Amino acid sequence: MVTRINIGPVHPSTHGVLRMVADIDGDTVVNVEPHIGFLHRGVEKLVETRMYMQSPVYMEKLDYVAPLSYDEIYVAAVEKAMGVEVKERAMYVRTILLELQRIASHLLWLGTMANDVGQFFTMFMWCFKDRDLVLRLLEEASGARMFYVNMRIGGLIRDLPPGFDERTIEVLGYLEKRIKKYEDYLEKNPIFVDRFKGVGVVSREMAIELGLTGPVLRGSGVSYDVRKDNPYYIYDKLNFEPQKRSEGDCFARYRVRMLEMKESIRLVKEALRNIPEGDALGMQIRLILPSAKSKIVCVSRELPRGECLMYMVSDPQRPYRLSIRAPTFINLAALSSIVKGCRTADIFAILGSLDIVMGDVDR
Amino acid sequence: MKIDRALLLEKARELKSQGYSYLVKITAVDYESYLEVIYMLRNLSERKDETLEVDVDPADAWVPTLIEDFKAADWYEREMYEMFAIEIKGREMERLLLEKWNGKAAPLRKNFAWNEPYEKGD
Amino acid sequence: MLTGSVLVAAWFVSNLLLLSGTAADAFDVFVYAVAVSLLIIAFDYLFGWVERKTIAKIQKRHGSTYVGKYGILQNLADFVKLLSKEHSVPRNADKALFLITIPLMLSLSLFLIFLLPFSPGIVESNIGLGMLVVFVLLSFLPLIIFSNGFSSGNKFAAISAQRSVVMLISYEIPLILVLASVGALANSYNIAGIIGAQSQWWFVLMMPIGFVVFFIAMLAEMERPPFDMREADSELIAGWLTDVSAPYYTLALFLDYTRMFLGSLLIAILFFGGWNGPMLPPIFWLLLKTFLISFFIVIVRATTVRMRVDRLLRFGWVWLLPLSVLNLIVTYILFIG
Repeated sequence: MVTRINIGPVHPSTHGVLRMVADIDGDTVVNVEPHIGFLHRGVEKLVETRMYMQSPVYMEKLDYVAPLSYDEIYVAAVEKAMGVEVKERAMYVRTILLELQRIASHLLWLGTMANDVGQFFTMFMWCFKDRDLVLRLLEEASGARMFYVNMRIGGLIRDLPPGFDERTIEVLGYLEKRIKKYEDYLEKNPIFVDRFKGVGVVSREMAIELGLTGPVLRGSGVSYDVRKDNPYYIYDKLNFEPQKRSEGDCFARYRVRMLEMKESIRLVKEALRNIPEGDALGMQIRLILPSAKSKIVCVSRELPRGECLMYMVSDPQRPYRLSIRAPTFINLAALSSIVKGCRTADIFAILGSLDIVMGDVDR
Repeated sequence: MKIDRALLLEKARELKSQGYSYLVKITAVDYESYLEVIYMLRNLSERKDETLEVDVDPADAWVPTLIEDFKAADWYEREMYEMFAIEIKGREMERLLLEKWNGKAAPLRKNFAWNEPYEKGD
Repeated sequence: MLTGSVLVAAWFVSNLLLLSGTAADAFDVFVYAVAVSLLIIAFDYLFGWVERKTIAKIQKRHGSTYVGKYGILQNLADFVKLLSKEHSVPRNADKALFLITIPLMLSLSLFLIFLLPFSPGIVESNIGLGMLVVFVLLSFLPLIIFSNGFSSGNKFAAISAQRSVVMLISYEIPLILVLASVGALANSYNIAGIIGAQSQWWFVLMMPIGFVVFFIAMLAEMERPPFDMREADSELIAGWLTDVSAPYYTLALFLDYTRMFLGSLLIAILFFGGWNGPMLPPIFWLLLKTFLISFFIVIVRATTVRMRVDRLLRFGWVWLLPLSVLNLIVTYILFIG
């Protein structure tokens, strides 16, 4: 007998406002339909009424877990429309900040995912304490802990403060040990492994057909990472290898993200070693901006959650149309296909491994 | 590349058989006199992108559905329907994001009267 | 609240009537019951505080520090706050049954603790088959949980209750089998007899497998994490406590710790030698052992992941049941045969 259960927009599963209507037969899920739109703020339309540098504020609020990445991709789109080159030192600094943001985002993912399977906040608290250290570094670099708005056309609002590299190396050393500890803790726990292995398997063909992106795609064996295949900034200079696993279950996606965290730590250290001297400042906002001629640009970046693509049609003063391809939008759309045939408790395990941020889904 | 609406499905299938099986995004732009619907496809094994652009008359706005070949098109098409009032022929449509909408105008079109009050309800 | 207290009082009186038949003096029994109740209340209150603080320290935070020194008055503040809230019953619920079940569960747990002696001198109910009586009465609990879930008129509570009952009845079987081996080893089911038989060696040393099986099965009986699927907050939204109004919620919290006290007491009696110990009075040793076992259970809560229902049942049937049978056979061969 099929019961229809409403997993309402308000639920203690720390995912934001997502409503799912689940059809459940006993303990097996027949169908899950996500109903979204609770956090829709009309950003794409809003940006059409604002001037170029008034919009990074809106962009950051999209993915509020990793705001710097959206800030950066928008500014990159504007730079491409204007034909402005980013200064070399600024490229290094941007990469460092982006990778730090990726580490912070994955730490939050780890905490909330463990919470979803019943860890009762222990993992969550530890991960947040560690994420706090990274946020403190980002605060030193930009002045804010969460919504940075420190990207400017051609560079940044300010350069890294003196002594930043020593402090970063110290924090990264500590994080390496902590990540190793979390891995041991979770992977040697048979209950945890049992919750994730073999759950929510997505085969390679299905992943490509469903249009999945990011660690979800790489967990199914498709090795596509924008940083490698369409490199930007200094990723072609650093030895970067995308991490992938081939099983396609929740455990594979978990492993991919853990490996990505370690990879990010390595990238930051390497970038800090090779950073050139120079000037990283971008154009000031208050200067009258030279107009971006009417152009169509398409910029794609690898966000912590997947690949984001900004398709912008530009007007002299403001974007004529900004189309944002949010990674979690398409990942969540695939939920109903992935969950068929799983148990009720697996819905949350799968949702945790997809790493959804509702601001990104609803825009 | 710009193609005609009638040839869209055929061309998409042709591209899929050539390896462009990953649908990146379906989006649309409202240039006042016409709407341009953009399909971005990607070939994962060769790392190449291909874009199909279809011009659509705003008064007669519809495109055929790609959902049989590309499952990822599902939510993108629903978003196009909701935001631009572009009908997708060949599948049943439900609203995706803002469910209780009076259906009078599409938010992302340029002629959307966002400054004026509207009646709520469906 | 009125219903609840009336019920608790009713059970109290029935305890007295039951026990006065076997013990000497009705007044003595009454004093004993009051003393034990105060002990339970003190334990529950203390352990509410210990749990919050321990979990907080494991999670690298402080826990409650504001109310009272070291936050010890926090639970009292919560209790008083909850009592002042509105009492309501959902329209779909079977009102009488819904309101009775939580006080009934509490009364059952309290009664079971009354049956256990705390000291060799204060053996109020020297029932010959003491332990068996305890476990038989313990198996009434799934029935009451079932009626609670179904009378609440709430789909989620019903599903949670159903899962919980299945889990409880599956995990009772290894429990009883290990109890049988304890009884065989001690040559009696009388509680004082079991403790007496451990004067040389504690049973935990003589049957370690049995201890592990019993501990895990007891965690399931107490519905403590990792077996807490009724309160699984991120799984089926809220579970059985969705529609329970404030005064009954306090009873439910109280119930959680009372069951933990009962479980730890049983483990202490059956495996750790009960009140045996040098020099200090026996009741001190019993309470110390219970305290340490409860503390360990709290740490298990902070560090464990919840199992999925079907895996949990599978674990009970595929692992615990054969292990308990193995334990029985090994004990028989080593010590009795």
